Amino acid sequence: MDCFYAAIEVRDRPALRGKPVGVGGTRDRRGVLTTCNYEAREFGVHSAMPTFMALQRCPNLIVLPTRFDVYRREAAVIRGILHRFSLLIEPLSLDEAYVDLTAHPGAPAAVAKVIRDMIFQKTKLTSSAGIGPNKLVAKIASEVNKPNGQLEVKPEEVPDFMEKLPVRKIWGIGAKTERKLEELRVKTCGELQSFSRPELVDLFGKFGIDLYDLCRGIDHRPVEPDRPRKSLSTEETFSIDLTTLEQCEERLAELFEQLMADLAQKETTRTITKIFVKLKFADFTRTTVERAGLEPSLDAFRSLLAEGFARTGKNVRLLGLGVRFAEPEKTSAQLPLL
Amino acid sequence: MKFSVTKEKLLEGLQQVQNVVSTRTTLPILSNVLLQANGNEVHLTTTDLDVGVRGSFEAQVEKEGATTLPARRLFNIIRELPSSEIQFDVDGKNTASIRSGQSFFKILGLPEEEFPPLPKFEGAKVVTIRQKDLRDGLRKTSYAISTDETRYVLNGVLFSFKENKLTLVATDGRRLAMLDIELEFPRSHEADIIVPTKAVTELQRLLAEDGEVKVSMGSGQIAFDLNNTLLVSKLIEGNYPNYKQVIPSEAKERVTLERETFLNSLRRVSLLASDKSNSIKLNFSKNNIEITANTPEVGEAKESLPVAYKGRDLSIAFNPEFLMAPLRNLIEDEVFLDLIDEMSPGVLKIQTPFLYVLMPMRISA
Repeated sequence: MDCFYAAIEVRDRPALRGKPVGVGGTRDRRGVLTTCNYEAREFGVHSAMPTFMALQRCPNLIVLPTRFDVYRREAAVIRGILHRFSLLIEPLSLDEAYVDLTAHPGAPAAVAKVIRDMIFQKTKLTSSAGIGPNKLVAKIASEVNKPNGQLEVKPEEVPDFMEKLPVRKIWGIGAKTERKLEELRVKTCGELQSFSRPELVDLFGKFGIDLYDLCRGIDHRPVEPDRPRKSLSTEETFSIDLTTLEQCEERLAELFEQLMADLAQKETTRTITKIFVKLKFADFTRTTVERAGLEPSLDAFRSLLAEGFARTGKNVRLLGLGVRFAEPEKTSAQLPLL
Repeated sequence: MKFSVTKEKLLEGLQQVQNVVSTRTTLPILSNVLLQANGNEVHLTTTDLDVGVRGSFEAQVEKEGATTLPARRLFNIIRELPSSEIQFDVDGKNTASIRSGQSFFKILGLPEEEFPPLPKFEGAKVVTIRQKDLRDGLRKTSYAISTDETRYVLNGVLFSFKENKLTLVATDGRRLAMLDIELEFPRSHEADIIVPTKAVTELQRLLAEDGEVKVSMGSGQIAFDLNNTLLVSKLIEGNYPNYKQVIPSEAKERVTLERETFLNSLRRVSLLASDKSNSIKLNFSKNNIEITANTPEVGEAKESLPVAYKGRDLSIAFNPEFLMAPLRNLIEDEVFLDLIDEMSPGVLKIQTPFLYVLMPMRISA
C-alpha cells in the first residue's frame, strides 16, 4: 500500500488532500512519524523521523495521531481481496504482503492490476506491486513505480534488472555492509557479481553464501502463508532522549497497550515463553532484559525496564518491549509424568 | 593497585570465577572480572547479573586498590606467560601493566564503580551442609533438570528444607530425580526454593570432597559460601509442581540390577534406537530381561540380561537416554527397578534415600 496510514487519514479527511500529512507522535510528546504522504516526502520528511525534525523541514506538516484499529480494519479488507487470487499469502506487515500467483491462470501483471483496482474500489486507497520470479525480485520491483504503479520483471529480464541495481536494495544489506562494499568500489549488484562465493563468504561470513545468489536475483525462499512468528514486539525511538526511569515507565505503558493490541490481533493462542525489554542508550549501546516464565503484564515489563535502566544509568534513546513464543508442539510417544 | 603473584595461584583464582562470565553480554562491564587487592589477598568477582562468583588468591600486595579487566582475555594472557612470577600494576585510569619474565602486556580496564555489586545477605536464613553430601546429591539429580524454557520453574533444582531434611528434586516433566540429605536446622528455616541450572552447574564445579558449605537464603537470592569461594544466584520465582503425587506408592514387580552391566547393555542396544521414536524396549520374562531396539530400514539390536525376576511377563519401553542418565550418575553397584505395568512409571532406587521416576513410552504395534 502507498503510505498506508497517511493515505487512510487523508481519505477520511478530504480537507487534507494535497497537503503534507504525517502520522505519528506529536512534537511536544517527542514523537516519531510512523509514515507520511508524498506531499510531505517532497520536503525530505520520511517515516521514522522525529516529528520535531519533520516540522523543521516542513513547517506546514499536519501531524495526526495513529488509529491502529482503523488501519487493521482496512488491512483485513485488503487481505480478503488477496485471498480471492491465491491461498499463498505471506504478510510482511499490515500493508505489505507476498502473494504467490504461480497457480493463477491469468497473466501475473494483469492479475496484479486487477487486484490493485479492486483494492482501490473497496478502500479508495492506492497500492503498488512488483511482479517477479521470486520474493527478492518482486519486492524490489514493487518499489520502482511507487506510488500507484507496478513493474513486472520477467525471468529473462532478471539479469538486466539486477545489473544496475544498487546493492542497498538487497535484503540483508544495511548501512554497514554498504559501506564495506563501497570501500571495495562496489555500488551495484552487477559489480558485486564479479566476486566468487568463497570470496563473499570471506568478506561477509555466512551471509556471503546467500549474497552470491541474491545479487544475481536468485532467491529460493517460498512464500510461506503461516510461517510461525518467533516473537512479537514493538518499539519507539524518541526524538529527545529519556533521562529518568519515570519517563521510561510512561512510554512503556503506551507501548504495552500497543503490544497487547498486536497480540490480540495476531497471536491469540500461542504460548508465550519469554518477555523482554530492549533499551538503546544515547551512545547507541544497547541492552536487552529477557525473562522466561512471566506473564506479559505491565508490572512484569516494568520490573524488566527498571533492571535494564539500572544497568547503565545512561539516557534512553529507544525503548522496546515484546514477547517470544514457544515452538509449535511436536507429538511424541513419551508419556508425561508431570 | 600493585601486587605480585605466582602464575599458578592467579590461574587457579581465575578458573574459579571465569565460567560465570557471559561471552555475549550487552554490557561490557559483565565481560570483566573485578580485582580487589587488600592485605595479602586479591579478591576476584564475576557476575552475569543472575549468578555471581567471588574468589581470591594470595598475593604480595604492595599497593591496595581495585579495578576490572576483561576476564577471558586476562585468562588467556596469564595462561601463556613465560615465567611463574607475575607483577601487576594498575594506574588510576584502570590501565593494567602485566610483567612476567621478558613479557609485558598493557590491558585497558573499566572502573570498579561500574561493576554491579553482589547482593547482600544480612539477616538471611543460614543452613550448613557437608560439601560432599551436596555434591553427591546434585550429581544424582541435576541431570533431570528441564531445558524447556516454557517450563521455567523446572529449569533448576528444587531445594526443599523440611523436617530436618534437605530434599533435592529435578524433573523435566517426563522423569524425576529426588534425593534426601539429613540435616539439622530450626523450623523457622523451612523453605522451598528453586536454584537455577547455571548456579547448579557452577556449584557442582566448586564443591569439594571435604569441608562444609554455608547456604544463606535471602529474598529471591541464595548464597553458597565455600570458605574461600562465594557463589550467589537469583532464585527461580514460582511454585514447583507437586512432585510427590507422581511418585508411585507401591510396586508390582521389583528387579535387582547390576548397575554397570545394565548400563553397558543399554548403551550397546541403544545404538539401534531410531532417531525418530528413540525408544528401547525391556521385555521381562522369568529370570531374564531382553533389551531390544530397532530402526526401520537400518536394523535391530537385542541383548539378554539374566536377572532374578519372578513376576509376570511384561514389555515396557523407555527413552534410552532417560534410562541411562541416572545409571551414569549413580555410584552404587546395585540398583532396583520397580515396575507396575506398561503404562505406569518405573522407579529406580538404591539403598539410600534416592529415587528416579521415569514415565514409559507408548509401544506402537
